[in-house]
Amino acid sequence: MKDHVNTIKLLLISLCSLGILIIASTPPANAGGVYQEPADFINEVFDGKPPKADVLWLNKELKQQIVEILDHKYNGLRVRYWQKQKRSAWVLEEIGKEKKITTGIVVNNGRIEQVKVLVFRESRGWEVRHDFFTDQFRQASLKDDNRLDKNIDNISGATLSVRAIRKLARIALLLDQQVQDKQVSKKTL
Amino acid sequence: MTNRKPKKLTAFLWHRRIGLLALLLVIILAITGIMLNHTEKFRLDETYINNAWLLNWYGITPEDEPVSFRVSNEPESHIISAWNNQLFFDDIAITGLEQDMHGAIGAEQFIVVALDNEIILLSYEGEFIERVSTSISFSNIQRLGKKYKRPVIETSEPLYYIADEHILDWDVISNEDIEWTERYSLDEDEYEQLLVAYRGNGLKLERVILDLHSGRIFGEYGVYLMDAAAIALLWLSFSGLWVWNSRRRKMRRKKHYRKHHRI
Repeated sequence: MKDHVNTIKLLLISLCSLGILIIASTPPANAGGVYQEPADFINEVFDGKPPKADVLWLNKELKQQIVEILDHKYNGLRVRYWQKQKRSAWVLEEIGKEKKITTGIVVNNGRIEQVKVLVFRESRGWEVRHDFFTDQFRQASLKDDNRLDKNIDNISGATLSVRAIRKLARIALLLDQQVQDKQVSKKTL
Repeated sequence: MTNRKPKKLTAFLWHRRIGLLALLLVIILAITGIMLNHTEKFRLDETYINNAWLLNWYGITPEDEPVSFRVSNEPESHIISAWNNQLFFDDIAITGLEQDMHGAIGAEQFIVVALDNEIILLSYEGEFIERVSTSISFSNIQRLGKKYKRPVIETSEPLYYIADEHILDWDVISNEDIEWTERYSLDEDEYEQLLVAYRGNGLKLERVILDLHSGRIFGEYGVYLMDAAAIALLWLSFSGLWVWNSRRRKMRRKKHYRKHHRI
């Protein structure tokens, strides 16, 4: 009889410990923050030897295209980027619900090579940082109407963050296109 | 002496009295309700209130004092201020701030504003050009200065960095011949102008209309006032029905009487 009581006690203690372990290993509701400093991202993209930054000045037409993608006013006259041959890296920001999401985007030969959420300041929607989401952008390029040629699946509960990253990916491709076009026209001159 | 009978407190009488009493509140409820239904069309969320009385009523006053720097590029001169997480070019709100401002200078091509780990570039017309994170070169900015019309940063280490002409890259320099920026004290008029600008972005029209609709604008008991108006509206609907029905019955009775008594 005593043996049975001890076994039940042991079983209960084991169950409680398992419960505590499960609760402790569950990610917190708010998992936002700085995942990677933009400077570290640029360093990583160019294997520790980043090229000098350059800037793309936004003319009226380009700014209008950005406004159309963002669906709101764009504050700024120039955008910084890092480029080596046909590969360019951009650190762009867009508001998810209320706060900015800083995202690093690498474009290679007109197609997205990498999307990485660097800083997430909102309390919800941080799931967009995960590879299962950002990997969807790989090899995406821009169609004539400035939309992505790939379908990017939504994440329930993070719709606004998903929308923001999609917009940033489109803007990075658009800006890269402008940079490449300028360089081609410079060469032909 | 008149033959007038004393008034009976009929439903009609109360319908009229309550209707008159609730008139103003019901008008407010209806108009604000329509406006709130079309927030985007009326641009309620983009329009800011600059009426001093209303701003005082809402208690919109900044918590601390502004930090200002005077920048000049002869013959132009402007005041760059940071106040309650907002950057101002003279009295124009430019952008939100998440970090403290450590200085502003007029460089060759741009106005450069230094924050903890960021640089903001503005044109001399007050246009926002770019916000740059400096973490790729340095962090913990302490002071901003100028040398050869180019911005110079002092970090906490302390190390000194000078920017190139386009403010794209930074080089280490020694602490020599640097003209450091100093805080500028606003005079009374400049302070007042900045206060108006600050408050201009403090209260949206949407907030006022919402508070008018809910009654919160009238204070603690305003909500109950609007509740009373809503109850009055309900009462008016039912009493209106009652009055209409009793009049209809009265008319029917009259018609019936005339028909059978041939008056």
